[in-house]
Amino acid sequence: MPASTAPESGEVSDSDLVKRCQAGDTRAFDVLVNRYRGKVYAMTYHMIQNETEAWDLAQEAFIKAWRAMPNFKLDSAFYTWLYRITHNVTYDWLRKKKIQGDGEFDDSHTDHRVAAGAEAVARHEPAPDTALKNAELGARIHEAIAKLSPDHKQVILLREVEGMAYEEIAEIIPCTLGTVMSRLFYARKKLQEMLKDTYENAL
Amino acid sequence: MKLASTLALWILTLGCVKAQQPVAPPVESLPAVKPATDGKVWGALVYATNDIKGLTGSTEVAPIDFADIPGRLGMVFPFQRFEILGQHLQDVFREYESWVVPTKDLFLKVDSKGPADGGGMNLHLQFWRDQQVLVKTDAVLKEGSPLFIGGPKWREGQLLFVLVLQKSR
Amino acid sequence: MKTPSEDHDLIRFLDGEMSDAERASFEARMAADPMLNSEVTMMQRMSADLRTHLPAEMPVPYADFFNSQIQVRIAQEEPVTLPAARSSWLDWLRIPTLITAAAAVAIGGFMILQKQNQPANNSVVHSIYVPNPAVQARSFHSAEAQATVLILDGVEAMPADRKIVGFHVERTESDQEVATTTLFGESGQILAVVAKDARNQPRLLSANPRG
Repeated sequence: MPASTAPESGEVSDSDLVKRCQAGDTRAFDVLVNRYRGKVYAMTYHMIQNETEAWDLAQEAFIKAWRAMPNFKLDSAFYTWLYRITHNVTYDWLRKKKIQGDGEFDDSHTDHRVAAGAEAVARHEPAPDTALKNAELGARIHEAIAKLSPDHKQVILLREVEGMAYEEIAEIIPCTLGTVMSRLFYARKKLQEMLKDTYENAL
Repeated sequence: MKLASTLALWILTLGCVKAQQPVAPPVESLPAVKPATDGKVWGALVYATNDIKGLTGSTEVAPIDFADIPGRLGMVFPFQRFEILGQHLQDVFREYESWVVPTKDLFLKVDSKGPADGGGMNLHLQFWRDQQVLVKTDAVLKEGSPLFIGGPKWREGQLLFVLVLQKSR
Repeated sequence: MKTPSEDHDLIRFLDGEMSDAERASFEARMAADPMLNSEVTMMQRMSADLRTHLPAEMPVPYADFFNSQIQVRIAQEEPVTLPAARSSWLDWLRIPTLITAAAAVAIGGFMILQKQNQPANNSVVHSIYVPNPAVQARSFHSAEAQATVLILDGVEAMPADRKIVGFHVERTESDQEVATTTLFGESGQILAVVAKDARNQPRLLSANPRG
């Protein structure tokens, strides 16, 4: 079970907490916030890579979840539902940012022009120390992720970071399984292009 | 619009390089569709001090609608003189961020969060000093009820930021 | 050129979404195709690195405040969002208790929540976030001045020799395509342009300093 933080033995289940929330119990919601805030924050942070904005967005996601709680039928796992809300909140933010002209991503419509259009992340001289190398690789990965479109970022994060199955990703976005696979393929190809120096040297 | 801002940036770049040309010439803006707005705010940076000799000599005067602001500042901050150093009347855009920049040194980013119940605007504000954000706040701004921000100390006094929602006309 | 189904095969193999038979068939293809084999190896390494460098869970800064602010906001919304949910008169006690408790939370003095019982025509500060832990913020309403006041204590003083550059901004033009706002003065001259740097922080290019 990839992204779910299944309650440990003795803990109240998500579905019980949801029912208590639906009865107006804000303390039950606080437990859910505790349980998932780290994951929601990680997702918003990876998507926008700005600590304070990610903090605000994560909070906004929980508040929207509370507002939508009366309509949640428990027909999916709570975390899947919460991640869908987080996705929407983050996506809206990115859309607004793009409207404002900050758009650092420009590959929204280039699914089939990966190799030609992909921009390589600047190559850095390898550091002698392994820790430094790791830090450098981490920085390059963040840099490459930042250059992906929101759609591609989302599928990569849901799959690679959250470890979600295709069906779960399709439910969150929402889209078809085919779209999930296509987006994953092109997102990986773009990352591969951007990080090719790293891997070509290593292989 | 794009041409105007590009031209502005170009002029500013030249202005920075050529100190002998301190005043940028007027620029004709191109016709453009005005973005939707939720209201208008007036922002001012005020130097509060008891040291009359230390006043900067700024000639800025508050618009008539906000002429009572210096007096009201005196009811909150323990100073006798309130000198407006800069002021800015700004539309608050519905979809985009707005900047209220009465001075180069302290300025405000304003994001509309829509109309507030009973009038006024829900706002997200970020108070910036150069490239450092001093405070972020969610606030409701109502007509006739200004927001005073007590900022950093400066010389013998303090810098204050005033934000007021202009009455709808 | 590969077909979409071949692309899908590659990622389904990488993600372990193939049946045993499909997997065996794909591995046979890899054995016969060094380029495909190399691509799979590279993508597998990349996936491993992504998982290493992008944690699925991260500590939330000021986590207690994160929760308490949510509690305050949902308490404020509760009568609107969940009208049928209030089942006990005791619940009426919960809302002010929550608000009071949350407002009392001051995480290292960095963040403060506000819940002000003010007339409807007063401005209100709902929440404050101060990134610098050396700075403390508080807000209150001054009935005398009929103003809402936000005080920042501990902000580094502006150097005395710094000349404050004041503007009289008559109008602005925002260019959303390049994310700039141009400030114009009383005579139509350009005073400054607000742009943003790569870290999304404002950069103010001033043309006409004075004051």
